[in-house]
Amino acid sequence: MKTGLTRLLPYILILLVTLALVWIDKPFWIQLAIGVAITAITALAWDILSRTGQVSLGSAAFFGVGSYTLAIFEPLIGLTLAWIAVVVVCALAATLLGLLTLRLRRMYFAIATLGFALSMQVLVVVFPDWTGGSGGIAPPVLADGDPRWQLALIGLLLLAAVALSDALLGLRFRPAFFMIRTKPELAAASGVPVVRMKIFAFIVSGVLIGLAGACYGGLYGYVVPTDVFTTNWSVLPLAIATLGGMDTTVGPLLGAIALKALEEVARSVIGGTGYQVVYGAVIILFVIGMPQGIVGLLRKAGTLAGRRTAAGEKKKERERHA
Amino acid sequence: MPDTASPDITRPDPTRPDPARRSAQPSGGAILAVEDLTVAFGGLKALDGVSLSIAAGEITGLIGPNGSGKSTLVNTVSGQLPVRGGRIRLHGGDVTGRRPDRIVRAGMARTYQIPRVPPTLTVEEVLSVPLLYAGRDRHRLPGLGDAAAIAAFCGLGPLFRRHCGDLSVTDLRRLEIARALACAPDLLLLDEAMAGLSHEDSVEVMGLIRNVHEQGISIVIIEHLMRVITTLCHRVVVLNNGRLLAEGAPATVLADQAVREAYLGKGFAS
Repeated sequence: MKTGLTRLLPYILILLVTLALVWIDKPFWIQLAIGVAITAITALAWDILSRTGQVSLGSAAFFGVGSYTLAIFEPLIGLTLAWIAVVVVCALAATLLGLLTLRLRRMYFAIATLGFALSMQVLVVVFPDWTGGSGGIAPPVLADGDPRWQLALIGLLLLAAVALSDALLGLRFRPAFFMIRTKPELAAASGVPVVRMKIFAFIVSGVLIGLAGACYGGLYGYVVPTDVFTTNWSVLPLAIATLGGMDTTVGPLLGAIALKALEEVARSVIGGTGYQVVYGAVIILFVIGMPQGIVGLLRKAGTLAGRRTAAGEKKKERERHA
Repeated sequence: MPDTASPDITRPDPTRPDPARRSAQPSGGAILAVEDLTVAFGGLKALDGVSLSIAAGEITGLIGPNGSGKSTLVNTVSGQLPVRGGRIRLHGGDVTGRRPDRIVRAGMARTYQIPRVPPTLTVEEVLSVPLLYAGRDRHRLPGLGDAAAIAAFCGLGPLFRRHCGDLSVTDLRRLEIARALACAPDLLLLDEAMAGLSHEDSVEVMGLIRNVHEQGISIVIIEHLMRVITTLCHRVVVLNNGRLLAEGAPATVLADQAVREAYLGKGFAS
């Protein structure tokens, strides 16, 4: 088992980095950190859902619904209640989508969630009276537009996402989730209420992505459908979690950092829009070369270095028998 | 009503017959009673009006040729297939149409022939699932209150912290029995627990099943190996074409002409 310090390391690092950036107040780094944090939250949320075998391509739906719910409800019921509405609406959408896709496995589930995300975008355009149509909508600006406070708030949300992810990797949920993923009948035969657990994971995931989307919309106080409902927000969480290492908390965090770093480097070296091609190709190569993600690579490195710690021993054993 | 059983085959006497149903046998000794059970896949009746009861405290063998409905019966009573007609009673209480996890909580656990456990979970973690979720009094079975004790009981003690991906086929079978045992069941349904095992390994697993029975757990075994049935079982139930063909003591049932015909070519006529 992991030692207490290893377990606390992600929290300490997030806290320290956030505080340092708020203190230093360099706009580029703050914007970069905000980008990393938002994508990390969506990737953690995606990973939580995937642990139950539900490989979603519908993250963008919740991302958009989050930002739009905040924008639509804030003038009606005030800011605090609008944030609560984000949680409620995303939880309801997750329950509904979860129930509809309950019997779908793997690829069919992914396609259904992708369809949901795409239809949400259409829905927004079709009801312009409520949503502003394709012209977009203005959610309340987060933290009065002060990037430092925006980073602090999003950092807090990231901490919450990390804590949730860790809790769901504990003995209470991890084995049951994995069993549902591998063979739901076996989980049910062990007393696990499979439907309830899958919906529960869907709600946690959907609400987290929705909150991230609401924060994103609040960065500039303006969103258009093509900004939040794009396939980009559906694929990015999956890519990050795979790149970093699935079924872990650290994986999506490392993946988000790596991906953003890659993006920035590609942008500055290649520039234009061509950088996206290179950046996409590099992701593909990474995923092919490291199926266990960055976390898997680090584990292997730890084993090769022959660390004699208890944690090292356990990982070594895992590698030997893999 | 299917009435294919030969007259010389004994049927358990219902001590408390339900006046409403002819076929009902919720006797004091029956832990599981199936009444007129019909299960169909489209137009095909996999089970066609099967009525039988499983006596508490016994090891009952469930046999029949391939496609006779054995697995369908196990899948149905454990809540994983929808019932088209009939009743399933556990401890006399109606569990027809209940969810599989509810049925586990009511006291009936089952194993799978091919368990498919997540390879990244350890033996300990797999056993933790029923201990946390089956919601049964874990100390009902003395000495089997936690994952370590159950693993040791099933001969998995040294493998307790190993990943399931590293286990042998035999150990996976033991783990599957251990997992079901961690549900603290009153009745355990074993679906071909010995299929594909070597003679030595199957003898070991038979010993384990006997030990489980000694814990006061009633057992139903689906099995193709006749020596398993004759050594372990107190009673045998035979299905053929989705109907009850015979039930009774192993020696009587296996000598029955109809049963022999159903199994003709299976090579146990000697």
